[in-house]
Amino acid sequence: MKTKELGQQQIIQGLKDADTEVIDEFIQQFSRPLFGVILNYTKNPPDAEEILQDTLLRVIRKIDTFRQESDIWPWMKRIAINNSIMWLRKRRSSRGREIQLEEYAPTFSEDGHLHGSLFRWSVDPEDVILNAELASQLYEAIQSLPFEYRVPLVLRDTEGYPIKQIASLLGLKEATAKTRIHRGRLAVRKKLADYLEGRG
Amino acid sequence: MRNDLKCKDCFDLLMDYLEDNLDSETQKKLDQHFAACPPCLNFLESYRDCSKMAQQLRDQQVEIPKELENRLKTFLREQM
Repeated sequence: MKTKELGQQQIIQGLKDADTEVIDEFIQQFSRPLFGVILNYTKNPPDAEEILQDTLLRVIRKIDTFRQESDIWPWMKRIAINNSIMWLRKRRSSRGREIQLEEYAPTFSEDGHLHGSLFRWSVDPEDVILNAELASQLYEAIQSLPFEYRVPLVLRDTEGYPIKQIASLLGLKEATAKTRIHRGRLAVRKKLADYLEGRG
Repeated sequence: MRNDLKCKDCFDLLMDYLEDNLDSETQKKLDQHFAACPPCLNFLESYRDCSKMAQQLRDQQVEIPKELENRLKTFLREQM
């Protein structure tokens, strides 16, 4: 963030007044975090740029509807997420690859017991903040998921949205949203386990 | 309470278990299974940790090129 950061009230007023200096400062302060949010939904930087541009414009056009006593960041982020999903749903013509459960699920014996030896998992989830390589592996694992799995997983695990809301946003039945989150998690777990096992 | 849950049953209920969607009796049966089955516990922990780690990616900042910032400024000025 720049040193000359404006306060929330100054930004809101400046956007309402179409003050170009405030708009420039608003872009400097918020385009990076908003771009980070949008890149969780689309892997393609030119698409993300177009969504970011549209998001910033929507924020400015809707600024009169913002409740001033609340924090502006969650409000802007919600606009970025909704915009990303709308944009992607509109432009996607074909479905991505289905994740088959057997690709990433553990194997079980006929009597239902867990098969084979799973390597010993020993990661503290907080490590991802301190360990840039682990964070990058995790990010890549999530990004490698097909759109249909990545978006519900990011909404649930990264953003903490309830399943009901995810289903509604994506136009899915709740059971389908749950299945996709579950399969996405299994794929991410397997990719990270392969990385950690190879490293150890 | 008889616990006849197999590893596969626990795996099938994993997401509902973590979302607290199961009735208390089933939830308890899974607790018992995980406590007595190290491979399942290991799998549960890894699955749960991945979900928690994804939460840490929230609000990450990425670098954006100066040219993109300039394009955004030009675009918004044109729209105002």
